[in-house]
Amino acid sequence: MTTLDTPSQRSPEPPAEPPRGPGRLRRSFDRHWYAWAMVLPTVIVLGVLVLFPLAQGIYQSFTDLTEANQQDVICTKTLGGGEECVDNPKQAKFVGLDNYVDVLTGERGDFWLWFTNTIVWTTACVFFHYTIGLGLAVMLNRRFRGRSLYRVLLIVPWAVPGFVSAFAWKFMFNKDAGLINAFLGIFGVEPIAWNDERWTSLFTAIVTNIWMGVPFMMVALLGGLQSIPQDLYEAAEMDGASAWQRFRNVTLPGLRPVSSTVILLGTIWTFNMFPVIFFVTEGQPAGETEILVTGAFRAAFEGLRNYSLAATYGVLILSILLVYAAIYRRVLRAQGDVF
Amino acid sequence: MSTSVIFDQATRVYPNSTTPAVDSLDLEIEAGEFLVLVGPSGCGKSTSLRMLAGLEDVDSGRIRIGEREVTHLRPKDRDIAMVFQNYALYPHMSVAENMGFALKIAGVGKSDIDARVREAARILDLEPFLDRRPKALSGGQRQRVAMGRAIVRQPQVFCMDEPLSNLDAKLRVSTRTQIASLQRRLGITTVYVTHDQVEAMTMGDRVAVLKDGVLQQVDTPLNLFDKPANVFVAGFIGSPSMNIGTFQVAGGHATIGAAQVPLPRVTSDALRGAEVTLGFRPEALEVVTEGTPGAFAVEALVAEELGSDAYLYSSLVAVGTERLNADHIVARVAPRGVPAKGETMWLRIAEEKLHAFDPGSGVVLPTA
Amino acid sequence: MSAILPSGALDPADTAGATASDRRRPRRRGERSLLASIVLHATLLLATFIALFPVVWVALSSLKPANVIRSREIELFNSPSLDNYRQVLFETSFPTWFLNSVIVAAFTMVIGIAMSATAGYALSRFNFPGKRGLMWTFLVTQMFPVAILIVPIYLIMANLGLIDTKASLVIAYCTVAVPFCAWMLRGYFDTIPRELDEAAALDGLGPFGTFWRVILPLARPGLAVTAFYTFITAWGEVAYAIAFMQTDSHLTLGAGLQQFVPQFNQRWELLTPAAVMIMVPAAVVFFFAQKHLVAGLTAGGTKG
Repeated sequence: MTTLDTPSQRSPEPPAEPPRGPGRLRRSFDRHWYAWAMVLPTVIVLGVLVLFPLAQGIYQSFTDLTEANQQDVICTKTLGGGEECVDNPKQAKFVGLDNYVDVLTGERGDFWLWFTNTIVWTTACVFFHYTIGLGLAVMLNRRFRGRSLYRVLLIVPWAVPGFVSAFAWKFMFNKDAGLINAFLGIFGVEPIAWNDERWTSLFTAIVTNIWMGVPFMMVALLGGLQSIPQDLYEAAEMDGASAWQRFRNVTLPGLRPVSSTVILLGTIWTFNMFPVIFFVTEGQPAGETEILVTGAFRAAFEGLRNYSLAATYGVLILSILLVYAAIYRRVLRAQGDVF
Repeated sequence: MSTSVIFDQATRVYPNSTTPAVDSLDLEIEAGEFLVLVGPSGCGKSTSLRMLAGLEDVDSGRIRIGEREVTHLRPKDRDIAMVFQNYALYPHMSVAENMGFALKIAGVGKSDIDARVREAARILDLEPFLDRRPKALSGGQRQRVAMGRAIVRQPQVFCMDEPLSNLDAKLRVSTRTQIASLQRRLGITTVYVTHDQVEAMTMGDRVAVLKDGVLQQVDTPLNLFDKPANVFVAGFIGSPSMNIGTFQVAGGHATIGAAQVPLPRVTSDALRGAEVTLGFRPEALEVVTEGTPGAFAVEALVAEELGSDAYLYSSLVAVGTERLNADHIVARVAPRGVPAKGETMWLRIAEEKLHAFDPGSGVVLPTA
Repeated sequence: MSAILPSGALDPADTAGATASDRRRPRRRGERSLLASIVLHATLLLATFIALFPVVWVALSSLKPANVIRSREIELFNSPSLDNYRQVLFETSFPTWFLNSVIVAAFTMVIGIAMSATAGYALSRFNFPGKRGLMWTFLVTQMFPVAILIVPIYLIMANLGLIDTKASLVIAYCTVAVPFCAWMLRGYFDTIPRELDEAAALDGLGPFGTFWRVILPLARPGLAVTAFYTFITAWGEVAYAIAFMQTDSHLTLGAGLQQFVPQFNQRWELLTPAAVMIMVPAAVVFFFAQKHLVAGLTAGGTKG
């Protein structure tokens, strides 16, 4: 007689090991699927609109793509009313690092000129943005009559769209119709052709950008000042510190997180600031005041459009900014701030 | 190097208000004394402290430290060190730099600063933390750094503004004793502000009670407990609070519930009307049997059993027009065998522990 | 303890440290001397003047006839009239440009927020693999210069036949708007207490439900500010507008205004009223948003 194996009589099977790889992934998926789902639209946008063109741009910088040779095929109409297409013998081809070499050695374009302009432009603007902004913030941090009115009026430049400010200052610096020259004329100064010389031209752009950028710094630093606890100042008073010593030992360190952020943001925004140079100086005289971003733009869209060259500039500019941001972050971390 | 501190009719009125925050404060603090300023929120204790430190203007009156009049001197010229409620440690300096900052400003030499900082750190058990930043410290450690910063300066006066209020309960108790013994050791005159009357009672040589900017009474803790000068001090000092109520008086007896409680002769003589305000602490009540002369009935509500003591909260079985300040009477009872809710008890006040106050002004009346 | 500070530093008998003027009438704490007050107000007045003057000057100039604008005289008013405004509004394509700008900015704003709202929430609340990388990407993409993306996107648009359409601009602007909105919204969501999420979970809502019905309504101010700022940024963008739009009637304001001031024969009398008409609505929108703006930007920035 055969006996049926009842489950209890069978030797217990060893418990099945959960499969390593897929199991963990599956668990991860279960836990995080909704987070990924929520993030999906941005990821798609980033992937399609940013990363893909970025990759393309990087690739293009390794070719000699221009307006002229961008066609892959040349189609000519045949007698029969159709089209015959052959490969364009002159189509854009891979040239490796040629573009980079040309640009960095100055063989093509004016990279170093633009680079110097950009450095001067960025340093001057950010320096004055910060110092003037800090000065105004410190003044506005006290209580006095009319303080809120001043605060509202002082941010008017921020409310004006960038290109409008650029045109307004272009108007004021205009050689014939401009207010600045008319004003100087009162003192007997001959009208200055601001855009005729590189440094005066840059000067007009820098003044414009300072005007535009100070309000943001002022408001950000004012917020930072107001977040410093009052009793730190009192403790410093008890310790015998003078007003200047309190500024150095309580105010400035207390502002450091906000300062680091706004200086980083300000530097990047100024570096990339297109409308001001483009409209105020238009690169005059003769392209001597172009900064990197406007120069790259012109290479891409003016004259014989040189797409690969513009892409090269783009990659170089981005690399510069990334290096800057990385160094900045490391310096801050060494100072003990977590950024 | 300890000095006395004198508040002489010191007054502070904030610009946008009519009532003074501190009203004609007269207070003499002896050299080396630990004086506690205590009172409910808004009583002016912190303001008084800050007037001493130079962080608030003095609108009238004077403040003297020793022989010097400091009423309008800047804080740094007063030789006072302060411990703030939120410690006010400089976040970007290390513990050692925080403690040495004032000396650095004063131009003291670096090696001297190091020596003094190390010594203070040793006293306060901060030596392992000298190189850390405040944000890397616990609340208790930060509190000690704030103390260390004050000690290092060897000032003439310490001002402390509720330094323990941000600590958890257990830490508060242990730090309390440390501060008290430290002060005794250093012998520096200390003015200490707190809203916690237990802290006040355990730490101070003398305690000054303030209310609405006015000094109510300044005395040793035990005297405040045994001989409060008015109704407010009586109700403020002691935990659980004293039972206070206003009762009808007739023929030398006060009517409490159904009981006629005899009043001392001097007390009745001092009365002007037909009412008296009486105060009796939970420890002053005895549980007695019904019918005992002077006993009144109460109905038990809640019992707090603490193991070492028990407090019974009960409501007075009222008959007349008595007005109790609280809606219950608290009595200290034997810690075991506490009455159940709803049970009726009979309580009697021990005569020598009865306090009497004028029902209008609140001033204490003689009872002996 | 070693007593090192010399004890004689403070003379006990007199009011050491008090100056003569202190003895006369003590300076109250925080009170400024008259001189300091004057300097303070003078500096602030100067700064305010500099801040406002260009705007005022442009507005005043817009009222002057064409030949007067070009003159070298400084005068505030000279036969003020609204002629220039009339000319700009009826004889140029300015109104079309204005409308184009509004449409492009509005679409960018709506799409930007729609795409990024859930992402901002997810970044604020959840810890998931890839979160750090994503946040870093958002930050870096905001640093991108125009130059790096403009050419590839242009070529893509050309291949799709979208050059010279508003759609191309909206798409291009989204490359910046979407990461920016996600970043800022995350900052705002961070300020909404997590306990609300937990309460919603206990009430039976899943993550999406919690987001839609509990958190999103509370984040309205944050959404409004982010929307405003996206609008303003798209409104003021110039490089893509100049590159992508070619026919006059498709231009947006940045590209269009440029036409008023070519290198020779600059028509300031057209530029100034146009500028005024752009500034006024921009300022109105801006002042609504600015109160909350900086907090969001710097909060997002410091939470790297």
